[in-house]
Amino acid sequence: MNISRVLSKQHHQLRRIKLWTYLFSTSAEEKIELPRRIPRGPTDILRALESTIQRDPTAAHYKYHDDPFLIPKSNATKRTYAMAREAGKKAAHWVRSENPELFNHKECDPPIEAFFPKVVFDENSEVTEDDLKRVIEKNQVSDAILINKLLAKQGAEISADTKQGLLELLCYNNGDDTLNEEFIEERWFRQSSRIRERQRKIWKDGHVAEEIFISIDNPTAEAYSAIIQGMAKYFQVDRANHLFEEAQQKGLVLNIDTYNSLIRVANFLKEGYELRWTYVINILQAINSAGIKPNLGTLNAVLHTLSTMGTSQNVKDLTLKTLRQFKDLGIEPCLGSWYYVLITYCKERGPKSNILSYILDEIEGKTFEIRDLTDTSFFVTAMDVSRNHLNDLNLGKRVHSLLLKGNNYNLIGDSFKESVYYRHYFALLLKNIPLEEFMQEVYYKLVPNIYVPEPSIMEEVLNQVEINGAVEYIPKLWSDMIIFEHSNRENLVNRVLNLMVNAHTADETDLAEKFGTIAWDIYTSINDNEERKYNQLSFTGDMLGNIMTLALQNNDFEKASTVMEKLDKGHTTIVGVPKFEALSLFVDHCIKNKAPSKAIRCIQYASDSGFPDAVVLGAKLNEQLTLDKNHLESLSKIVDLRVL
Amino acid sequence: MNITQVILRKLPSSQSTFLRINLTCSKTIFCQKSTNNPPSSSSSSSSESSSDSDEIAQKKKASKEQMAEKLNNLLQQMVSDDYTKRLDLAKPSNKRIKSRKPEEKVESEEKQVLNAVKDVAQSIEGDSKKIESELLTKLLNPLDSERSATTLSDIIKGMKIEREVKQPEVNRAEQVRRVLQNISTQTQVPQKDHRVAPREKFRPRPVEDVVFEKIDLFGSESLGIFNDNSKLEDGPQLKTWSELAKKDLKLAVTHPPANYFQEMILWTEQGKIWKFPINNEIGLDEEAKVYFADHVFLEEHLEPWCPPKGPIRHFMELVCTGLSKNPYITVETKKEHIYWYRDYFGDKETLLRDVGAIPQDFSMGTSNVVDKE
Repeated sequence: MNISRVLSKQHHQLRRIKLWTYLFSTSAEEKIELPRRIPRGPTDILRALESTIQRDPTAAHYKYHDDPFLIPKSNATKRTYAMAREAGKKAAHWVRSENPELFNHKECDPPIEAFFPKVVFDENSEVTEDDLKRVIEKNQVSDAILINKLLAKQGAEISADTKQGLLELLCYNNGDDTLNEEFIEERWFRQSSRIRERQRKIWKDGHVAEEIFISIDNPTAEAYSAIIQGMAKYFQVDRANHLFEEAQQKGLVLNIDTYNSLIRVANFLKEGYELRWTYVINILQAINSAGIKPNLGTLNAVLHTLSTMGTSQNVKDLTLKTLRQFKDLGIEPCLGSWYYVLITYCKERGPKSNILSYILDEIEGKTFEIRDLTDTSFFVTAMDVSRNHLNDLNLGKRVHSLLLKGNNYNLIGDSFKESVYYRHYFALLLKNIPLEEFMQEVYYKLVPNIYVPEPSIMEEVLNQVEINGAVEYIPKLWSDMIIFEHSNRENLVNRVLNLMVNAHTADETDLAEKFGTIAWDIYTSINDNEERKYNQLSFTGDMLGNIMTLALQNNDFEKASTVMEKLDKGHTTIVGVPKFEALSLFVDHCIKNKAPSKAIRCIQYASDSGFPDAVVLGAKLNEQLTLDKNHLESLSKIVDLRVL
Repeated sequence: MNITQVILRKLPSSQSTFLRINLTCSKTIFCQKSTNNPPSSSSSSSSESSSDSDEIAQKKKASKEQMAEKLNNLLQQMVSDDYTKRLDLAKPSNKRIKSRKPEEKVESEEKQVLNAVKDVAQSIEGDSKKIESELLTKLLNPLDSERSATTLSDIIKGMKIEREVKQPEVNRAEQVRRVLQNISTQTQVPQKDHRVAPREKFRPRPVEDVVFEKIDLFGSESLGIFNDNSKLEDGPQLKTWSELAKKDLKLAVTHPPANYFQEMILWTEQGKIWKFPINNEIGLDEEAKVYFADHVFLEEHLEPWCPPKGPIRHFMELVCTGLSKNPYITVETKKEHIYWYRDYFGDKETLLRDVGAIPQDFSMGTSNVVDKE
């Protein structure tokens, strides 16, 4: 019955729906508008699918997850594994280039050009201008140089366009081959070091690029632009400036990027701030009189130069004037521009400025595409300013939420910048939010897959644990420290030991047990690694005393005795002595466990170490334990019992 | 106080703090004194600069000698106080350091003060010597001269002048040295005034207290170099360079892929996999430009030359049908095929006409062309 009723109900509903659709279709007798076809690119579907996936911070990065047993947890292993993967790729490339004849089969149709063996040119190759054009397009610098040479030998004339292309290629790369685009990991892990070495002259004087430039008689503005930009890019500033003046005399209108590159190296050309700024102004005026439109690069170059001009108020005023000037020109600053503004305003030794908050007002809630190479420096600098310059939690949070907006995370830069960013972020949060909130909301989420704390940050965390008396985090932190390979840092190990000893765990046996385990772990790891030559941590008396105390707090007399033995044996080699409280505690436990000989050895040790209160220990032992004759004798050798 | 600040800035920081402390010290001592000793006309006059020393001397003489005595007593008392307090301070640690250090310090400090003052005086226009002396007096006597009391240093100065009326003007350096010596001995007295101590503490202000200036990022005036935007044009472009720069920018944001879709996007962009959406015409880029009708309807290529009827027409229509069904050759090849027949039949046009394959009144355009040539 029931079922039939339900069915009839549904039937009624269906009829109603039909009726409605009928009514509607008649009443809405309008022409059907087909939406226009939207042309889709080949990656649009993939991007749409990709946008549905969010990063799970508790999971390892995609590149590691193939092998769950080898998921890296420390910075060193992360790097090693990623680079090992890349090395595998390189090995494959090498095999293919060594044995090209094995890879001549065409499996797929239409063919995939990326898998074709690379064309190799040597001294005897027959080459044409088209080959040269192709390698220029593919950014193969050394091949381009070789083909150019071969063409010259053949006496073939190459067109002015190709020559210009070759000149630009060589100037851009300084005649060196660039890292294959394929090797993303290598780029991700290396960029930071490259920037450091870029601050000196590395332009190859008299190299092919210059030969080509000289071979062009009556060089065009484009040729001048290319060679000047190349020289400025690789810090051959004097000759770049010289060529610029030469071009100016000839009345050539250069490329706007050429002017930019010269502004950018003003700090190498001119020593004094005044001179530097006059130089910049001169070039800007030259741009204006040449009637060229400045671009974003011009803005960034000017801001870059201003950021090298000290901390005076004048520089800041000029920065604002520059921003205004380019705003009037309709040039929107990019993140890189804000980066320069930040480093101009927030110098380490200058007065404090909260320009960051005004910048954030300007850019908050927007998503960014990369427009300048320095864009990737913005986030790390902004977080640095929030932490070190202003110590402003609110700003730090705003910067972080901007980073997580849309695809802005792409602008984090590379692995080095990313971890510096998080270092600042963690330090800022640690100082400004309650420890519990920090651990729950930040630490458990981001560590270790997104960020691995450096020892300095770990120390800061331990600091906070100490201030808050939150010793319950120590087991977790210690296991992290082992994974992150911090366990061989003496200051951190001592820190942890002191924290555990000073925590009052009497009423929490669970914690005492864990602490005992940690202490024993420290003991064994140091003990086992003593033969290691490098990076080796050695015991100090204090450390051993702490370990012993923790073992005793856990009622593990046996382990405590082992530590005492170690102390006793290594009396001459171990630096420092344990605290007297530790020894006293040990004697107490000896009494409890009825182990007079161990107690006597401890008292011997205490007296050898120059603790005057060793006598008290002896007296205590004598009082609370009935000693036999031998023990009494040896005890009286150490301390004069009659004194008491 | 402004001028003293200028001078302070000229000094290295450690020195300037020393001086600043000195200044505040002398102020406090002045306070103490003023409570002990009611202000008198003579002492106020003695605070004036040393250039009108004669005048002061006369005034002094006119005033009662009691005053001088009073001051003398007071000084005596202070010196003895000073002495005992210094004894309190003495540390038993290192005798050599104790005996040598303060003197050296004073020596270098006063030199630096002098140099700094000289620098300032020279940097200001006008009579540099005069300014220098003014600065020195200002520095050594930081109180307003209107106030009806005086510091210890002024009293000493006044006393000396009284005794040595005929002596020429005292060397400025000498003055400074003496005054500094006095000040430095005073600073050795520990601060007992509790009103001053907290002020000292507050000097390095915490960050939170700093009032930030308001910054309007785009509110400033312009540099004023580019005034007419409309006149400006794009300059010459470097094709290869800008391509390379673009590639570098892209690489700067190409990070290791974080999921499989990202990896596929990357591979697609590197050209390692076929493009999405997958269809069976992938990679036929050239062919995609040709409309299908061009492949299928080939009769239009017959119209200019082919006879409208007869066996040749029949044959050619069959050729077109065959070609239209062939998916493996391009439209160009199909056309070439047809044109080959055109030329072939064109060569044999007369023969074909004789045979009757071509109607008598029809002439193939091609042969005409050939003939004309």
